[in-house]
Amino acid sequence: MLLLTRPAAAAVAPDSTTQATIRVLPADNNPALRLRQPDAERLRELRGQRDFRYVEVKSELSAWDMLWLRFWRWLAELLATPSGKFIWQYGIYAFLVVALVFVVLKLMQVDLTRAFGRAPRRAALSYDAETEDLHALDLDVLLTQAEEARNYRLAVRLGYLRVLRQLSDKGLIKWQPDKTNHDYLYELPTGPLPESFRELTRQFEYVWYGEQDDLTADDYERARTTRQAFERRLSSTSQAA
Amino acid sequence: MDSSSPNSPDNLPISPAPSLSAAPETPAAEATESLSSFAPRTDLSHLSRHAEAIRQELGKVIVGQQALAELLLVALLADGHVLLEGVPGVAKTLTAKLLARTLSVPFSRLQFTPDLMPSDVLGTSVFRPQRGEFEFRPGPIFASVVLIDEINRAPAKTQSALFEVMEERQITQDGTRYPMPAPFVVLATQNPIEQEGTYRLPEAQLDRFLFKLSVGYPSVEEEVAILQGHHAGFGGAPLDAVQAVVSAEDLRQLREQVQRQHVEPKLLEYIARLVGQTRAHKGLYLGASPRASLALLNGAKALAALRGRDFVTPEDIQYLCPMVLRHRIQLTPEREMEGGTPDDVVKQILQQIEVPR
Repeated sequence: MLLLTRPAAAAVAPDSTTQATIRVLPADNNPALRLRQPDAERLRELRGQRDFRYVEVKSELSAWDMLWLRFWRWLAELLATPSGKFIWQYGIYAFLVVALVFVVLKLMQVDLTRAFGRAPRRAALSYDAETEDLHALDLDVLLTQAEEARNYRLAVRLGYLRVLRQLSDKGLIKWQPDKTNHDYLYELPTGPLPESFRELTRQFEYVWYGEQDDLTADDYERARTTRQAFERRLSSTSQAA
Repeated sequence: MDSSSPNSPDNLPISPAPSLSAAPETPAAEATESLSSFAPRTDLSHLSRHAEAIRQELGKVIVGQQALAELLLVALLADGHVLLEGVPGVAKTLTAKLLARTLSVPFSRLQFTPDLMPSDVLGTSVFRPQRGEFEFRPGPIFASVVLIDEINRAPAKTQSALFEVMEERQITQDGTRYPMPAPFVVLATQNPIEQEGTYRLPEAQLDRFLFKLSVGYPSVEEEVAILQGHHAGFGGAPLDAVQAVVSAEDLRQLREQVQRQHVEPKLLEYIARLVGQTRAHKGLYLGASPRASLALLNGAKALAALRGRDFVTPEDIQYLCPMVLRHRIQLTPEREMEGGTPDDVVKQILQQIEVPR
């Protein structure tokens, strides 16, 4: 309160003193004022400088900017109409609803790409370029060539691939390059086939993965007998079916 | 082992390959004949005998967990370290302790805590005033089987102390090299990373583990069997029931035998492609290292030997892929937000690479 009242008192005091003593200012005895002119050379020099050129540069819009300008102008005019106002009012709500649904689906980990169609088949996966196409190979010819060359290890492999192709052709297995032999074993229908195929697979794996390069003609004959027995069983099974 | 548990080794995306060495249930005449003609060239009976002995000893105390026991044996034969992850109370530590007990080799146990120092693990040099020199006092890491319990409770500084010893089987202190005894196996346990008071293990350390095995809950039947055993008084001192059945020399011989397993060159290429695919996968921020390829190869050789074969098949590789790769790869943040797991990505990669045959 003191701080507020003190300046008020001080403000009143000078009024009382000005009324008491009036001081007259002394007369101006200085000579007449001289108007100074800037140096014309200096002015010319300054005008020549770039910093002092106050020329208003008019912006030139590019064709792209003009296009956008027209678009926004058109949009503004459109939204100014009664129907445009309606769209503007409810379009925002629609956008918010769509965004909300999208966030919820994302949080629920729903795959939107599969929402309106079937799940992509596994065959659509990008397999390696060097994938051996089982159905494109002429396995009969290759097998005969391997047998004639006494390359028994390769012959066992080709014979096994031929069996896989037969199973695939008969629809007993679904051929996929990423599947193992045991995947195919589990796919076979119950009956005599799985057990024979298990033995055939065992032979193939011992010979091929086991690097049995020194396979004799007798060994191969036994492997071939097993394979042919399986093929006979396969044909009789499919005929019965 | 709980087959319904999503993390149990039994329930991994790739089903374990059936043993081809087993005789068929109803053998055909020609099959019986051919069985004798394609016998394995390597005598694996020594290995099978020892593996069976370890399994039996573990089975005296552990109920179920056959897949876990098999994978621990694989790691033992492949000379690799194992990281066991699971919630508390699923017998991670007990399994590791029991496995160590089946081997007649020095065993040591370390409980990792937040204040553990590298010198507490490796050892330290102490001054001997009588001789006027420093003497190195080996730490608990100097053992053949080292159980590190709750490994993710120690900070990165202590974890880094394990880098050299896990990879090179030696430590270097004050310029002197101290080799570890052979065999040297680290069995580490950890709780899931989300739990309180844990640190994420450095990538360099994770890469040094051959396998990361997820231990799941037992099934109801197995849990009843655990309760029955405990109720019958067996739960008092379970370790006493287990005996050492494999010596260090036995293990050395078995490992040599595993190293001689046949691996078809196309299968080596298959391993390289699988691991290489982790480096190109869109959902992965970090792919697996060449050490992962070696781990996959060594693991597959050991698994094939345990299943009675002297050669590796694609099934062996596929079966071990999740255990070898899951801790070596890192998902992108987007993939993680979508709820993806490393095992999902590994499964996807397995579907993208053609099986050589």
